[in-house]
Amino acid sequence: MPVLCSACTEKRAVLKRPKTGHSLCKECFFWAFEEEVHYTIVAAQLFKPGETVAIAASGGKDSTVLAHVMKLLNERYSYGLKLMLLSVDEGITGYRDDSLETVKRNQEQYELPLKIVSYEELYGWTMDAIVKQVGLKNNCTFCGVFRRQALDRGAIILKVDKICTGHNADDVAETVLMNVLRGDVARLRRCTAISTASEGEGVVPRCKPLKYSYEKEIVLYAYFKKLDYFSTECIYSPNAYRGYARTFLKDLESIRPSSIMDIIHSGENLCVREGVKMPVQGTCKRCGYISSQALCKSCVLLEGLNRGLPKLGIGKHHRLHDKILSQQPLTEKEERKLKSVDF
Amino acid sequence: MCQVVEEYPDQLERADLPSVSKKCGKCKEASTAVVIRTADTYCRGCFKEYFVHKFRATLGKNRIIFPGEKVLLAVSGGPSSCAMLNQVQEGLNQNAHKKLRFLPGIIYIDEGCAVNQTVEERQRKVSELQAVFKAAGFPFHIMPLEQVLDLPNSVVVAAPSPSEQLASTYKAAVDHFIQAKRSNDLTAQDQEETSVPYVQESHTQRLQQLIGSAKTLTAREDLLNTLKQHLLVHIARSKGYSKLMLGDNCTRLAVKLLTSISLGRGAQLAQDTGFSDSRYGDIIVVRPMRDYSANEIASYNHMFNVPCVVIPSLNTKTPDRASVHCLTESFVTKLQVDFPSTVSTIYRTSEKLQTAGRSSISTNLCDRCLLCMCTMDTAVEKASAFQATQVSTQLSQAKPTGSKNTGPEQPTASGQCCSGAGTEGCGSGVGCCSSASVKTPDLKSLLCYSCQLTIKDMLSVEHLPAYILSEAQRRLRRFRMREDISEFLLDDGDEGGDV
Amino acid sequence: MAAPIAIHLEFGGGAELLFEGLKEHRVTLPSQLEPWDMKQLLVWIQRNLLKERPELFVQGDSVRPGILVLINDADWELMGELEYQLQDQDNIVFISTLHGG
Repeated sequence: MPVLCSACTEKRAVLKRPKTGHSLCKECFFWAFEEEVHYTIVAAQLFKPGETVAIAASGGKDSTVLAHVMKLLNERYSYGLKLMLLSVDEGITGYRDDSLETVKRNQEQYELPLKIVSYEELYGWTMDAIVKQVGLKNNCTFCGVFRRQALDRGAIILKVDKICTGHNADDVAETVLMNVLRGDVARLRRCTAISTASEGEGVVPRCKPLKYSYEKEIVLYAYFKKLDYFSTECIYSPNAYRGYARTFLKDLESIRPSSIMDIIHSGENLCVREGVKMPVQGTCKRCGYISSQALCKSCVLLEGLNRGLPKLGIGKHHRLHDKILSQQPLTEKEERKLKSVDF
Repeated sequence: MCQVVEEYPDQLERADLPSVSKKCGKCKEASTAVVIRTADTYCRGCFKEYFVHKFRATLGKNRIIFPGEKVLLAVSGGPSSCAMLNQVQEGLNQNAHKKLRFLPGIIYIDEGCAVNQTVEERQRKVSELQAVFKAAGFPFHIMPLEQVLDLPNSVVVAAPSPSEQLASTYKAAVDHFIQAKRSNDLTAQDQEETSVPYVQESHTQRLQQLIGSAKTLTAREDLLNTLKQHLLVHIARSKGYSKLMLGDNCTRLAVKLLTSISLGRGAQLAQDTGFSDSRYGDIIVVRPMRDYSANEIASYNHMFNVPCVVIPSLNTKTPDRASVHCLTESFVTKLQVDFPSTVSTIYRTSEKLQTAGRSSISTNLCDRCLLCMCTMDTAVEKASAFQATQVSTQLSQAKPTGSKNTGPEQPTASGQCCSGAGTEGCGSGVGCCSSASVKTPDLKSLLCYSCQLTIKDMLSVEHLPAYILSEAQRRLRRFRMREDISEFLLDDGDEGGDV
Repeated sequence: MAAPIAIHLEFGGGAELLFEGLKEHRVTLPSQLEPWDMKQLLVWIQRNLLKERPELFVQGDSVRPGILVLINDADWELMGELEYQLQDQDNIVFISTLHGG
């Protein structure tokens, strides 16, 4: 005996909503999903009429659904936004080149302009080349740091006012857990913010319209809407420690499906004790990007790659920043420590 | 997507094999008996000194327990609370260096009914504990959990804290205490022979019915903890204690912190896991064991023959995924094996947090959760997880007027569930309050985010103890009254409709 | 005695990688005493189709959390999950949510 939709009370339900436990039919689900994103956009005042907004598009499920819903809501509610797609080509053969094909199809389907910025043109290094030098241990650090800046650089080339990313509720909840497990109170406080204001020169404000959308619903939305997305895991193995948090989160969700929202609620209501040291944001002395150190992470990593000392940006070597800035040579001992190691 | 701006250096070291040196790391003479972390090795004597010092240092540093104050130790029979009892005994010992100067008493809550123990089993455990308590020489109280059914309303009302005791007054109090040179010895107070209150079978059944009305083990554990906490506070209050000591250790608190986050208790985290918790006003909860790991305590108890009594709990012998509490515990335990800094890192997070926003000394009743008595965390901004869930609920249920194109208007501020939409609005009856009977109050608006989740997992709230239900009625009446009055007080400038 | 049934299995969202990249599988479940249910199907898949790393697909006697299951295009949570009794020509879809973003 089929379960009926709890909203229209007529049609057969196709999914049970993890957030509330309700059952919805396909039509009511589409409507609810879209309206919720709309509510989030309006309630958090993510955009202003007339703004140009770049959708960070990877070809994966989240950004594909984001692009689809943003275009739809922009028309349904006349946001008056100029939307475009912004992709980063990390230079990973067999992974990113395939997913970029998906983005290019999206560009045609949604009739949105697309800009692709590549690590190679920005940094002179592809991820394939980076992995060759640093191995598979810390490569995700390079990729993450470079991507963050690459999106900003792309956004500036496109002259957009804002970037929106496909981070969903599961991602935010997972980040809350990660920051607790790492004892990173500064990030713990920031990570549930739905948008970040421009933090300085060269940093474009970002927001997460899917912050309260469950991954389950995003995947089902894409499935029922037959959206074209790419779903291969990055060939350079994902972060193992994050894997623990992900598994824990999924287990939690299976016990109490509202857990993901509950964790976000926790994160939104945490308060850091006064007197706990917080890093001070400054700017990088070399490229002007925001940084709490003399050199931003990206410049340190790049310096390490170019000097053949890949470990320079891994771990804490703040004391060497001045040396790098003034182009002094490193001592032999320092060099030895920063050489690539066993893998 | 290897998303979420992955810029963390992989600084988490994995477990290295301990390179145990044969000698104690402290005195460098005696041979090692305990390894706390790979770096810390202790011989028997130094370990004891370290353990004892830590207890007094924790109390001394926090300056929260005043000399001559009556302190109630909550002892469950488990290793941690028994080690706490042992430390208090040691500290009150005439010969102790840096002697403790408070007046301890013991409370044990017999929760046998929650795990369906027979009367005989319960009695056996109680007499085992009685022997331990008698040996300790402090006054003790043994209460069956059933007593919670007869608590007065005042339990869920925070009492005003007696004159603010500031750190500066602490020293004066110590001096005063020493001058008074109490003639009668502290530890030699006559131990009142507490007989265990008689438990009516009907009470046991009622309590079991209440716990059984929670559909999930997660909600059951939460409910049980809340009731236990109420009973502890009530006993402390009625017997004249002003501090309540809990035996939570560092490992336990790390699990509790992660559990609390998972249950949506982020706003209450500092109170739930910190050294002291003043949510009850007159009774301050203190956690002096929070600097010890479970391993340290186990080693200590074993080496120095600290007696413990194993009592089964609600989640004993349940699979990992039976509840949020069980899952979190097994997650932290397993992670700790691979990454030995896990517990201490999580624990350090707790030290950097404080209770959110408005000052916690708010006296307004409606600002406190009816169950956990923490400051309410549901009056939040429009863009929040709480509101997003409300919007989802509204969009997922049948609209009374059937109009589909009314986008999400401003959702009602608090807990409007299926208002009159009837059963069909609730789908398969999951997650809605449809079946709540007429006479039981709608508690939602009186509860914090997390306690709302617990109640949502209950078939009905009618089995809740009378003190909770009648206090709920009272608050709802007051709330309505204030609403009525505010209509008269409002000016034209503020549209009265949306109060 | 239940007759053999033919069903259509589909793996997506990255789950197909555990099945040699093959998204669609038309299979016939042999006849057996009692009717086939989802629990038995998972065991059958593990024995007959799953090529590598079963822990990425199953956990205990259910699917790994994070893999969505649709029975005839409806969330299996609405259909009784493991207890659902399979019918001839059923369409079962497994979508991983754990891959890519």
